[in-house]
Amino acid sequence: MNTLSENVLSGIDYASISRKNRSRDIIFASLGIFVLFIAITTLVALFLDLAMRGAPRLADPDFYTSFPSRRPLDAGILSAWVGTIMVMVVTAVVAVPLGVAAGLYLEEYAKKNWFTDVIEINVSNLAGVPSIVYGLLALGLFVQTFGMGETVLVAGLVLALLILPIIIVSTREAIRSIPSELREAAYGLGANQWQTMSMYIIPAAKPGIITGAIVGLSRAIGETAPIITIGALSFIAFLPQSPITGDFPFISFEWLNSGFTVMPIQMFGWVSRPQADFQITAAAAGVVLIIMTLAMNALAIYIRYRARKS
Amino acid sequence: MSANEMATNRIGQPARMRAQSERPSETREHWYLEPEGTLRARVSNLKFWYGDGTQAIDDVSMPLVDKQVTALIGPSGCGKSTFLRCFNRMHDLYQGVKYSGSIKLLPEDENLIDLDPNIVRMRVGMVFQKPNPFPKSIYENVIAGLKIRGISKRGVLDEIVETSLRQAALWDEVKDRLDQPALSMSGGQQQRLCIARALAVQPEILLLDEPTSALDPIATAKIEDLINQLSGKVTVLIVTHNMQQAARISNYTSYMYLGKLIEYNETDSLFTRPMCQRTEDYITGRFG
Amino acid sequence: MSTSREDHLHHISQQFNSDLSKLRTNFLTMGGMVENQIVKAMEALENHDYELAEETRLKDKEVDQLEILIDEEASRIFAKRQPAASDLRLVISVLKMVSDLERIGDEAKKIAKFVFSDFDESGNLVSTPRGYVEARYIAKHVTSMVRDALDSFSRFDTQMALRVMKEDKRVDEEYKVAARSLATVMMEDPRNITSCLSIMWVLRALERIGDHACNVAEHVIYMVEGQDVRHTPMDKAEKVVRR
Repeated sequence: MNTLSENVLSGIDYASISRKNRSRDIIFASLGIFVLFIAITTLVALFLDLAMRGAPRLADPDFYTSFPSRRPLDAGILSAWVGTIMVMVVTAVVAVPLGVAAGLYLEEYAKKNWFTDVIEINVSNLAGVPSIVYGLLALGLFVQTFGMGETVLVAGLVLALLILPIIIVSTREAIRSIPSELREAAYGLGANQWQTMSMYIIPAAKPGIITGAIVGLSRAIGETAPIITIGALSFIAFLPQSPITGDFPFISFEWLNSGFTVMPIQMFGWVSRPQADFQITAAAAGVVLIIMTLAMNALAIYIRYRARKS
Repeated sequence: MSANEMATNRIGQPARMRAQSERPSETREHWYLEPEGTLRARVSNLKFWYGDGTQAIDDVSMPLVDKQVTALIGPSGCGKSTFLRCFNRMHDLYQGVKYSGSIKLLPEDENLIDLDPNIVRMRVGMVFQKPNPFPKSIYENVIAGLKIRGISKRGVLDEIVETSLRQAALWDEVKDRLDQPALSMSGGQQQRLCIARALAVQPEILLLDEPTSALDPIATAKIEDLINQLSGKVTVLIVTHNMQQAARISNYTSYMYLGKLIEYNETDSLFTRPMCQRTEDYITGRFG
Repeated sequence: MSTSREDHLHHISQQFNSDLSKLRTNFLTMGGMVENQIVKAMEALENHDYELAEETRLKDKEVDQLEILIDEEASRIFAKRQPAASDLRLVISVLKMVSDLERIGDEAKKIAKFVFSDFDESGNLVSTPRGYVEARYIAKHVTSMVRDALDSFSRFDTQMALRVMKEDKRVDEEYKVAARSLATVMMEDPRNITSCLSIMWVLRALERIGDHACNVAEHVIYMVEGQDVRHTPMDKAEKVVRR
């Protein structure tokens, strides 16, 4: 009956097909390894180059505990890393709740109509706006219109704006990745929307949301352009006021209004100096910044890993 | 005139008929038995449209006998799951759905379609096709519905956990590891946990949506056994694509086709002596 | 849902169709064999034909084999296909009717045996022709009943099955009349007792065959209409079959 197809099939050499397919696999795999190798080598070379150049300063404990100085070998990054952490705290406190709330609303509560479509498109567009534009916005709005000055608060706010789209999108993704069975299980038991959200959806989406927030923050930590735009200083020989005070009520928010510098600005400042020794200091600061970023990414990976295991 | 008869006449159902006095016929399009015994609910002329305007349920009327198992069978896409999900208004989670007709709860005589979907879901429990325990401990899963209703007294919870797990024939297997994650259990155990979770809040009607389709034969047999035990205690409405399963576990069976109810009958009659040609063709595996 | 004869050949599974039609064919083959057995046994009895009687007896072995085969086929269908509704009724009815057919075969064998008891030790024909007329008449009657019962099965004809059931009542009457007249003969002359008793057994066997044919007819009605008409008054059975 099907002699034709039988004849066609009997003429096939399965071994040669299999061989051909296998060689294609090998070619593709080697290509992939080659590309990967280039990428990793570049990163490692960059890091090693910085580390080697900055080694003398990295090994010096004073580097971490002293303020910048005119003498390159005395210059430290104390005000820079403290500033970075403070700005990050402001960014996190502002961006994470706002972003998560916005993501939740868009994903769960908002009705699907043209208005939410517009919002959705705009959120995606915001993620693509160059960071210097955010700096200009902050300069015009916060610094000039509201007269807030070049402070930790303004820097934190502008970075928060910058990473808000990232957090919104990753929150929505995390919620969308919750299987609908879980949602139906909760509703099926008689839970209302808020109970379903707070008791089941958010806990289940938490690892994804946290990962998104950390990835956003690790982007913010390295941002230079918007901070320069609002006029951060690269030479600061003092620390903002400590948030914890000796007097009642023991907590002070004065630091929000203080001038500041951050790691990338500090680096930028040093790199633009003519003295060769400042290049060493800049390289050392670069190593510290990379380690800070990598540490945050590692934290994100760890959280995801733990969530997947449970 | 019996009370039952009056109830049926009131909402325009045909007067009661018995299988024994009725002759089967090749030409009959529909056939509804008027069951003996108290009813828990009565569906009248239910129609349902999805958000995209497709009509999935077309003028279905059928009773739901109190504390008995009623099975819904029919080919894929016949609307049986859609029909089931009308009972706890699960469709209301999605936009643009529309109902007409009524699902009256008896004896309260309340129309499910007019109630707040949230309240409906508190009263009508559901177990889904795929076991879907929450990613929490076994104990937390059983009390989930109670927590939603604001019950948090430890003693009460402990007692309900034990009775529900016993009812779901799971207690002996898990009593020593109630604090372990529910997802560490086998698929069959997870499904029985989901049944226990639904039973813990004493639903007026328990909906089962193909509860064994993702399980192996042994786990399936355990669930079927459990459903058999529920018969006489809980009003159960179950959708199954497995006709033999419907024959084994239900007291009444409805055959649906293209969104319409073709035949509602006692299970024993439906599987030995269906009253409609289309039912016959479906359960004997003939060309439709 | 009443069924027609073609219904069992329209399954989506071709294998199921052929399983069921094989079951039906084998059953009808077996029916033809036992029908033939009755005719042959009566012929042997009338003509005192030893060979034919022996042949009839041996035929029963084949019938028994066929019974086992059909039982196996039916249980295979149950195990593999879980038949429902009309298919279920078909298989169940066949299972039950098969044992009726087998009994009919046994009764025919019994009749064939009386060919040998017709003669005494010295080989003389001992029977008087008394009772033979009745036996021949009843035999004709029940043979047509068996044939009709089988026909009603093959055609899914419940009217015919109902007629078979009615015929059985008449056969019972005829048997009673014949038995009474034989009793009179025996009372008149005790020497007739031996021969009369043999013919009495033949009559008894024929009457039993009629009962089994009636059973087959009842199962046919169950198979087609889905309602059990055994042990119910005739007018109720008529209501079931009424179109």
